[in-house]
Amino acid sequence: MDPSSSGIQEPFDLIRLSLSERVFVKLRGDREMTGILHVRALKHMMGHMNLILSDVEETIMIVNEGEQATVSVAKRKMGMLFVRGDGVILVSPPSRTQ
Amino acid sequence: MDESPPPPDNQSPPPPLPPTGHTGSPTDFLKGVVGKKVIVRLNSGVDYRGVLSCLDGYMNIALEQTEEHVEGKITNRYGDAFIRGNNVLYISAAEEL
Repeated sequence: MDPSSSGIQEPFDLIRLSLSERVFVKLRGDREMTGILHVRALKHMMGHMNLILSDVEETIMIVNEGEQATVSVAKRKMGMLFVRGDGVILVSPPSRTQ
Repeated sequence: MDESPPPPDNQSPPPPLPPTGHTGSPTDFLKGVVGKKVIVRLNSGVDYRGVLSCLDGYMNIALEQTEEHVEGKITNRYGDAFIRGNNVLYISAAEEL
């Protein structure tokens, strides 16, 4: 029996199917980024979820402590980025993100 | 087996079995929730509600139709989401098994 409609057998298949696509990545420390998953990086990713991304835009949520806590957002762009897997919380192919 | 109350003259009653035909094993629970709606809570307190596509031994999780809930409010939606297992606090069944 196929447990899911998408035919994914293990969670890494979701990453495998997203190679060379733009993915959304949520990281520890209130950081998010989108970038294109590097095709040749699969071996790195399998073990630890290390990611190699290109054409990256990072969004950093900065909480300003105070009487009234406010959140400001900083963005930056990077051409190529290696993300160490232990910082990764969530990866989503944003093509299907609304 | 039978629903009658334990006889008082018994020595010590066996520990009660969980209801409705599930064995107590965590693996069996996880097998049972694949394809079902679940709530995944992370150590950060964020909840992800969605349909569990699959999971592996690290408790890496693939979810479909995922909603991200922070303090009871939906903060994001993802068609598919991969959650790295080390962040997972628990997986809870959100519908009848």
